[in-house]
Amino acid sequence: MRRTKIDKTPARLDFIQSLTGLILGIFIMGHILFEASILISQEMMYKVTIMFEGYYFFGETHPGIISFLAAAISVIFVVHSGIAMRKFPANYKQYRIMKKHIVSMKHEDTSLWLIQAITGFIMFFLGSVHLFIMMTQPANIGPFASASRVVDEFMGFLYIALLISVVLHALIGLYRLALKWGFMEGKNTKVSRARFKLIMKTMIALYLFLGTYSLFTYTKIGLEHNFSDGERYKSKTIIMEKH
Amino acid sequence: MSEKKNRILKISILRFDPHDPEDFPHMETFEVKEADGMTLFVALNEIREHHDNSLKFDFVCRAGICGSCSMLVNGKPTLACRTLTSKLGENISLAPLPLFELIGDLSIYTGKWMRGLNERLETWIHNKEEELDIDKLEQRMEPELADKIYEVDRCVECGCCVAGCGTIQMRPDFAGAVGLNKIARYHIDPRDKRTDEEYYELIGDEDGVFGCMTLLGCEDVCPKDLPLQSKIAYLRRMMIKTSMNN
Amino acid sequence: MKIICTDVLVIGGGLAGLRVATGVKERGHGAIVLSLVPPKRSHSAAAQGGMQASLANCKMGEGDNEDVHFGDTIRGSDWGADQEVARMFVHCAPKAIRELAAWGVPWSRVKKGDHDSIINAKKVTITEKDEAHGLITARDFGGTKKWRTCYTSDGTGHSMLYAMDNKAKQDEVEVHERLEAISLIHENGRCYGAIARNLMNGELVAYIAKATTIATGGYGRIYSVSTNAIICQGIGQAIALETGVATLGNMEAIQFHPTAIVPVGILTTEGCRGDGGLLLDKDGYRFMPDYEPDKKELASRDVVSRRMTEHMRKGKGVKSRYGDHLWLDITLLGRKHIEKNLREVKEICENFLGIDPAVDWIPVRPTQHYSMGGIRTKYTGESQTLKGLYSCGEAACWDMHGFNRLGGNSVSETVVAGMLVAEYISDFCDKQESSVDVQSSTVEKFLKIQADKIEKLLSHENGEDAYVLRRAMEEIMMNKVGIFRNGDDLQDAVNELEELYKRSKNIEVFRSKSRAANPALENAYRTQKMLKVALTCAVGALNRTESRGAHSREDYPKRDDANWLKRTITSWRDEADTLPTVSYEEIKIDNMELPPGFRGYGKDLTQHHPQTKIRQSMVDVITDKLEKDGATRFEIQNALMPYLDKLPEKYRGINERLGENV
Ligand SMILES: Cc1cc2nc3c(=O)[nH]c(=O)nc-3n(C[C@H](O)[C@H](O)[C@H](O)COP(=O)(O)OP(=O)(O)OC[C@H]3O[C@@H](n4cnc5c(N)ncnc54)[C@H](O)[C@@H]3O)c2cc1C
Ligand code: HEM
Ligand code: HEM
Ligand code: SF4
Ligand code: F3S
Ligand code: FES
Repeated sequence: MRRTKIDKTPARLDFIQSLTGLILGIFIMGHILFEASILISQEMMYKVTIMFEGYYFFGETHPGIISFLAAAISVIFVVHSGIAMRKFPANYKQYRIMKKHIVSMKHEDTSLWLIQAITGFIMFFLGSVHLFIMMTQPANIGPFASASRVVDEFMGFLYIALLISVVLHALIGLYRLALKWGFMEGKNTKVSRARFKLIMKTMIALYLFLGTYSLFTYTKIGLEHNFSDGERYKSKTIIMEKH
Repeated sequence: MSEKKNRILKISILRFDPHDPEDFPHMETFEVKEADGMTLFVALNEIREHHDNSLKFDFVCRAGICGSCSMLVNGKPTLACRTLTSKLGENISLAPLPLFELIGDLSIYTGKWMRGLNERLETWIHNKEEELDIDKLEQRMEPELADKIYEVDRCVECGCCVAGCGTIQMRPDFAGAVGLNKIARYHIDPRDKRTDEEYYELIGDEDGVFGCMTLLGCEDVCPKDLPLQSKIAYLRRMMIKTSMNN
Repeated sequence: MKIICTDVLVIGGGLAGLRVATGVKERGHGAIVLSLVPPKRSHSAAAQGGMQASLANCKMGEGDNEDVHFGDTIRGSDWGADQEVARMFVHCAPKAIRELAAWGVPWSRVKKGDHDSIINAKKVTITEKDEAHGLITARDFGGTKKWRTCYTSDGTGHSMLYAMDNKAKQDEVEVHERLEAISLIHENGRCYGAIARNLMNGELVAYIAKATTIATGGYGRIYSVSTNAIICQGIGQAIALETGVATLGNMEAIQFHPTAIVPVGILTTEGCRGDGGLLLDKDGYRFMPDYEPDKKELASRDVVSRRMTEHMRKGKGVKSRYGDHLWLDITLLGRKHIEKNLREVKEICENFLGIDPAVDWIPVRPTQHYSMGGIRTKYTGESQTLKGLYSCGEAACWDMHGFNRLGGNSVSETVVAGMLVAEYISDFCDKQESSVDVQSSTVEKFLKIQADKIEKLLSHENGEDAYVLRRAMEEIMMNKVGIFRNGDDLQDAVNELEELYKRSKNIEVFRSKSRAANPALENAYRTQKMLKVALTCAVGALNRTESRGAHSREDYPKRDDANWLKRTITSWRDEADTLPTVSYEEIKIDNMELPPGFRGYGKDLTQHHPQTKIRQSMVDVITDKLEKDGATRFEIQNALMPYLDKLPEKYRGINERLGENV
């Protein structure tokens, strides 16, 4: 049989787009849950934070780990957005055609894609800012530090926009991922698709609720405390020698 | 069957004759008295016969078989001949499918587009080696496989999936669900001897399977209920595998 | 003036046309196909039932072969068929289907082991042989002794046509879509091509070819209700007729199907009645037992159609805006059965009637279904009278269907005739005599005639409305040249149609004056042509004072071999004529392999030809003698009616079957 030399790039790009999307999607689902630890208690949030800083592993915290994680995520983020951006309308004409198509078709999955494209576009800016901060100020994380950022540095506004964007984008993306590759497709795709869609919608609602509620909690903490004096969260159970 | 009260349908049609330099696209509304069992085929013929004999549209089999009569009914692509007016509201809007060359009013030149697609994807059995002796028993095939091939062979080239796909609207070079489905059809057919690499050459790019953004309009509008979502997913997996093995 | 030259011009992109085109292409000749629609949209796609070919793979087809298929075909035709042609056909049908299998048709296959089937409304278990596993299977169809109808689920015609069209694309056959042939170019008894009109921009194009093939399908649309696609208007037959040279055969032979839905005339399968469905009238009364106490709803196609019509004429039909109809009740079969075994019927009911056949009755009436008649040809597919003009498929009267075609034999005919005719055409094109020696002034003349006609239609004032004429014609055909025919009605029909024809010379295209795509203009010139075709039907039916196959005369219920064992040949000698010229072609008994006999339905009313007995005893003597000598069935057949020499050499081989010649 003839062996043709094929151009593998399109296959790779498609695969990487999905893979990075998948990683980011899973990451963000975990991420929002971790942030939501504040809902349990400030202590809990603190523990989660130092866990990421390697406390339970090394017996001391290394914010550099966060920097490293942020850098890694940033790379994936950039790769993903770079590849996925090919799918954006290439020019205004294409955008208009798509818009018209969506308006006249009133087709849910097509509209969902538009949401993904728009939220992706938004995240390109907001996400970058957030990631940059996390990379550069990894130590400033914690029940008080975070609350301070949310309130005193007015990051709350950014976060709410980012939250809505990322939750929609990631969960729609994961839903699309399943259909795109035929994951757990079953005999009847109509049934499996309806099931995935239901899961997606439930998760979106759940995550939006968790996220907003956490943000609300950070805001409350931020308003109740005055951080200008450099007040830091003091754990009641974990006493660290050096910081 | 109970006699329903006859409604007066208001059918608005997007009209345009590209051969008339003075014409421009505009909506025109016709009133038709609804009858029992009236389909858009019946309604449009009434309009042509009694209201405006220049109205252009395409029907051939008028039985939902040939795929000639696809148009946008209230914005959604579908086969007009098997659309009962009773399933629609009193106000019905009709427009030609986008993307295809317009012949006039609701009549479009799908044939040319589909021909181009078929030629590009070489949608025929590739079997150069074997000399066919038609006096001999036919090559055997598993009955289930034959059914599986027929399941995807049912596409009528109506173009609804093309009109229902945002991707192909933006990027007209994209093969669309109709094209990908055809490749899936030949790929599972043991009579076609093309290698995976040869298939990759045909659809392993942004105009092929990797161009699909899983919008699933195709799947939802296909009047033949073809398993487009699943076939495209299948091709995608297969193409990735091919690229990894190569 | 646009002129396009090629070797072979094929008018029609259905199964027949495409098969001719690929055939001549493979023999190295250029071919252009003209079609009203993209070829894949041709009416061939609508055939759901299947294609007959005596493969004998499935259990119920065991023992089938060319001889059995031949017998069924001839009996089905009520002895109207050309037996040599029928022989050529049954011999090549297995080849054609195997070729299609190699080209990609996903024929349904035999699965070894047990499966259930419903025969005569009873469940039966059938056990398929192991050695047949994976070969092409077949289903039961009316009028066949064996299960011979090969199929692909519910889309036989579709999958055949798609495979054929794809093959044509592979062979780079040039297809010119939305080009309508509106006249043939001919001079001194030789056809040189056709004038076609581009339906998108109105341009007239002259196609010049060594051989011209008409494969335009049937002419069902001269009737008001037909199961045919709306493009089956008989334009192919009409342009042949308009040459004044080419002839049409058996135009009155029209088949009706009992159960097409109202109003659109879409077919519901015979399986509905086969499985136990009932026919009811406006009072919900089951009337068939009154007419046919024995077979009731399950009498043969033409009989049921006739009884339904009779009953409606008594005022028992259900009135609707679209005319009278009756009910088909399959509710008694139960939802489970319907959803499993009659899926298509259910979908048709849902999509076209908006009803659920498990609870609602289906409105049905007998509907025009198939045209046995068409352009009369020799066995080579060439017109008997116009050299260089060929025809095949439903458009032709090749004549293997006689006065009634068997279900499944027509798609089979399209591909078999296509592959044979392609060879004969290629042989013709290979010869010097085929070279085209037509003057360009002749071509111009033909172009001008058409251009003038169109101009006249568009510029005419105070003329007739083509739609009115056309509807009138359709009604006349339906009511007076329908399922039941009688002298008085037929005479009326001829008179009225002639009147309409005269009026049609005065058609005006109202309002819509565009010279480009213009449905009103198309309807106008087609109506003129269709009226001629309708007249050939009506006149043929009026003259034929007997009942044969689908042609059923109330005033002459007998089949009359003594006087009517002949084909009706019609032509249109002069443009000024208002009626076709009729002549007859004898169907000779003395070389028949299967001399006329009793078809096997109802009472035998046949009035036999004196020659029949003589031929029958001859056949018996030869058969007996050869059988005693231990001759094979091929040798016996050859002694009775040799035909192999007529076939192109490459198609003479003996067909392999399980247990035969393998
Ligand atoms: C509902 C239905 C079901 C059927 N089921 C079966 C079945 O199960 N088994 C079976 O054997 N048969 C069946 N038949 C019959 C069978 O389908 C037809 O006889 C057969 O398909 C005819 O094929 P064809 O190639 O001759 O013509 P068609 O397929 O009708 O093709 C005609 C072609 O000619 C073109 N054409 C027409 N006029 C012109 C013109 N003036 N200029 C240019 N092009 C022109 C058209 O565009 C088209 O491409 C069925 C028929 C009907 C109506
Ligand atoms: C490894 C990289 C990341 C780290 C370390 C990180 C860390 C944090 C922290 C500590 C907070 C709490 C608020 C604060 O301290 O400012 C937060 C909030 C948030 N982050 Fe991240 N983040 C990362 C990546 C991302 C990415 C890639 C996104 C999405 C594009 C994202 C979206 C959000 C959102 C929406 C909030 C608000 C959460 C809420 O509503 O509870 N983060 N992140
Ligand atoms: C700059 C930021 C981002 C941009 C511009 C962006 C853009 C896109 C676009 C346009 C798509 C659709 C691709 C297609 O239709 O084939 C997509 C898919 C996806 N995105 Fe993003 N995205 C961004 C960030 C993210 C983040 C932060 C996540 C996860 C939290 C994410 C998860 C996904 C997933 C899971 C998919 C589906 C993958 C696929 O279809 O192959 N994206 N993204
Ligand atoms: S895939 Fe479906 S929608 Fe698309 S052309 Fe084929 S039949 Fe039509
Ligand atoms: S709508 Fe278009 S993008 Fe893909 S899933 Fe269908 S082809
Ligand atoms: S006319 Fe054939 S599908 Fe509608």
